This record gives sequence, structure tokens and C-alpha cells, in this order.
Amino acid sequence: MPPRQATPVQGTAEIVERGPDRGTTRVTVDAGEQVFPGHYPGFPIFPGVCVVEHIHLSALATAPEPGLRMEAIESTRFLSPVFPGDRLAIDLTWERKGGKWRCKAVAATARGDSAKVRIRFSEGHDQ
Amino acid sequence: MIDISGIKRVLPHRYPMLLVDRVDELVPGESLTARKAVTANEPWYRDLPADATDEQHSYPSVLLIESWCQAAGVLAAWKNPNPDVLAGQVMLFGSISDVVFHRPVLPGDVLEHRVRLFRELSDTVIFEGEALVDGETVLEVGRVVMAMRPASELLEAANHPEDPAGTA
Repeated sequence: MPPRQATPVQGTAEIVERGPDRGTTRVTVDAGEQVFPGHYPGFPIFPGVCVVEHIHLSALATAPEPGLRMEAIESTRFLSPVFPGDRLAIDLTWERKGGKWRCKAVAATARGDSAKVRIRFSEGHDQ
Repeated sequence: MIDISGIKRVLPHRYPMLLVDRVDELVPGESLTARKAVTANEPWYRDLPADATDEQHSYPSVLLIESWCQAAGVLAAWKNPNPDVLAGQVMLFGSISDVVFHRPVLPGDVLEHRVRLFRELSDTVIFEGEALVDGETVLEVGRVVMAMRPASELLEAANHPEDPAGTA
């Protein structure tokens, strides 16, 4: 299925578990991902923002309601690098606060936590 | 002004992940203004459906951040450029916070990144700023923390995956 939005990542996350206010996904960072030749030549590291993008896409896929749009990244902490072939496990928790949906998420590889992210979403956009 | 070849002497990023086209103003240790032109020929648009709407062509939000952070990277590395990610000190992003996205950025837009150095410690630099298109703010960046680390730490993480080192 073609992506709904332009995105730098090519892998598609699979939803492993989904509850009313939480979700878990898995996605493999294939060595053929298009960003690797430029990030960096001779030393491929999956860009931190691409890990955030996987979290963003997984959040949309497990969202408590349709039509959400990322309006802010409240915080991101990068904890360890992601390399070609790594499998990302993403744990997401949704919370509604101050009239806005927020998603807290952790992405981990087999070596441990890679990134922790808090995203705020706005509502009322068409799917 | 720093043109593209000058940027490539400072940053290790290359196609398709070199997301700064030109630096218009640089005050070492203080501030920088840079631009990035968005075009429909970037690879992120390749797999969109044939009838994709303008909204579906919104420039990926995370790449707005990446582009802004690369501009910050030029400011950070200007005094000690190191386009080789395998040697010397490399730039790693430790944390990014309070980033707000305003209107979508579309092909044809030229991003104007405004980067201000907020604080400089021995091996850490903190930046803030925004990105504009045609004078209108499209992205606010509250705080980006960049750390300078020996490349050997990264190489070790790649070779001994059980010893992770903080990086982005």
C-alpha cells in the first residue's frame, strides 16, 4: 500500500498489541533504507529523526481516534544508535490532557532503549 | 555566505540526507541563518499515490527538524569542521524538546532556518530558534542539545553492540 504521507522511512510497522490507551509495534530497519547512503557514507546510522518518524507513524496507527496530526514534539531523548538490520520495538501510551492527545513512547533495539519521545497531537483533520 | 561545497566541508551528511543548501549568515559561537529548498523530486515523494493531495505532499515533519539541526550543526562545527564521521569529534544529538509545527511545508517552499546558540559548555552546545517560509514561522525549536563525542565511541557501539553509546 502506498504511504498516505511523504516519509523518509520505508519499513512498515506491524501492530503487535493494541489497547484503548496503549499500543506496541515492531519494525525492522532494513539495510536498504534509502537514508543510509547519506547518513553516513561508509558508516550507516539510522537517523534519530527516523526513529522518531517510526514512533510518529506507529502512534498514528494505534491512535485512539482518527484524524490526529502531530502538532508538537514535546521531548525526545536519544539514548543509543540504531544500525542497519536492527529491529525496533515501540511501546506507546496515550493520554488525553488539557483537551489534547499526547503519546509517550519508547523505541528499543536488542541493545536497549534507543529513543524516548513525547508527541502532542491536534484533532479535527481529515484522514 | 557559505555555499553547498562549503557546507559539505563541514557536515558529513550526503544525498539524500544533506538537508541544508546554503548558509546566508554565520556569526561564530552565536547565530546562523541558512536555507533549504524543498522540491517534489526528493525521494520521500517517490512512493506517494499518483493522485496524492497537497496535504499528502507536506514535507515530513521530522525532516524539518533534521534540516534545522543540520543548520545548527554547521554553526557548531564551523570552528572545527569534521566531515569524516569515522574520525575525530562527531556531533550527536542528545535531546530535542519543545518543537512546534505550524503550517505544512510544501514543494516550492524555501525554508529559512534561524539558529541561535543558547549555551556552550565544554562538550555540549544548546541551540534554539525557528524556521520560516516567506516570513511566516513554520517550525519553532525550543531546545536542541548537541554533544561532541569521539568518533571511536560510535565505532565501538557499532562493533560491540552490547555497549551502547548515546547518539542520534
